[in-house]
Amino acid sequence: MKPILEFANVSRSYKKGVPVLDGVTFSMTEGEVVGLLGRNGAGKTTLIRIAMGMLYPHAGSVRVFGLSPTDDPVAVKKRIGYVAEDQVLPGRLTIAELTAFHRYLFPHWNEALERQLFERFELSTGSKIKQLSKGQARQVALLCAVCHRPELLILDEPAGGLDPAARREFLETSIQLLNREGTAILFSSHHMSDVERIGGRVVLLDKGKVRLDRDLDRLREETCVALVPRGSDPEGAGIERTPGCLGVRLVFDEWHAVFDGAPDFVRHELHESLGVNGIRCVSMPLEEMFIELVGGDRS
Amino acid sequence: MDIFVNPSGELSIYRQIMRQITDAIAGGRLKAGEKLASHRELSEQLVIAPLTVKKAYDELEALGFIETQRGRGTFVCARLPQPDPVLQEEQIREAARKLLSQAYLAGLRLPAVMKILKDADRELTGAVSTEKVKV
Repeated sequence: MKPILEFANVSRSYKKGVPVLDGVTFSMTEGEVVGLLGRNGAGKTTLIRIAMGMLYPHAGSVRVFGLSPTDDPVAVKKRIGYVAEDQVLPGRLTIAELTAFHRYLFPHWNEALERQLFERFELSTGSKIKQLSKGQARQVALLCAVCHRPELLILDEPAGGLDPAARREFLETSIQLLNREGTAILFSSHHMSDVERIGGRVVLLDKGKVRLDRDLDRLREETCVALVPRGSDPEGAGIERTPGCLGVRLVFDEWHAVFDGAPDFVRHELHESLGVNGIRCVSMPLEEMFIELVGGDRS
Repeated sequence: MDIFVNPSGELSIYRQIMRQITDAIAGGRLKAGEKLASHRELSEQLVIAPLTVKKAYDELEALGFIETQRGRGTFVCARLPQPDPVLQEEQIREAARKLLSQAYLAGLRLPAVMKILKDADRELTGAVSTEKVKV
């Protein structure tokens, strides 16, 4: 499959010597869905803005459909749809005026899809943007981002500030687009159950680096957390040296260590390296895994 | 049949789908030759990625439970995989010993285990689920 989005060693800082992104490398292929995870300030929005050509990388390169988004902005933006985290829509316009403007910008605007989404979202064309609720404004932003049938849709915190019903509706629409248009989606989110529903793969950013890049099913089935009493390894160094260890943190009097491998296998490895038998190793849902990997010490 | 998924459940979503379909076939709620929902229908009903449904169906097909007929859809196989009956019985006896050992250690008696088995039988043969989705 052809890569449609490629980050190669992308770095960027806002303050000298304080990198927000520090050598980020990953790529996406056609029709793929990638959930971009990370704590606040991990660099998700900066990375997305670099893909959109709104920021230059200070080092490394980004290619969207094989093109540079800063050298070929029009060619790239024709084929991409984007909803920003803090999307500002012109409040004085009506929805109809805003969509007419987009229709004018994009020659391949799909009016049937536009009508369908209007019906689905129960939007009235005459409403002024400033009178819309947060959820409705997000729906309008999504509509404007998808009706030119982009090959890649980038959603920065699509569910931010939405109630559960509005979030579900947003997800349902994204899934329909996946099904009908084969659109690839890169989305950042703090809602792990949303990521588990639609993300095929997750990329976890931590302090500007890719901490984890993995197929979601593999992450669920072949990654586990080992709970080791602190007394078995006071400094945690033995756990860190154990093959497959992705990260260790102290939670009160217990080490929580994330490992590549199914629980039985990891238990065996820890027995080999620490000489301790029967260490508890458990599979965890994405939310717990996220906390274990980027949650910091609690001692 | 009804399928429901829990994104934060212990099993990954595609395994949850696989298990519910094999349970339904085992319990007779899905009959040989019966048509399943398409990838697209099931993905939209459950609000999950279409690739996840495809993965579940592909694995079930590889195991010989369902088959895709081009242009017509996906169906429960007319001839389900037939394991070696002697080997199969031995495995079931072993599973029963394991189950009873675990139950007795937990302080349950045989009648209580029988009741649990009957409940499980009802779940397999009569639909018990929360989210109504037609497959």
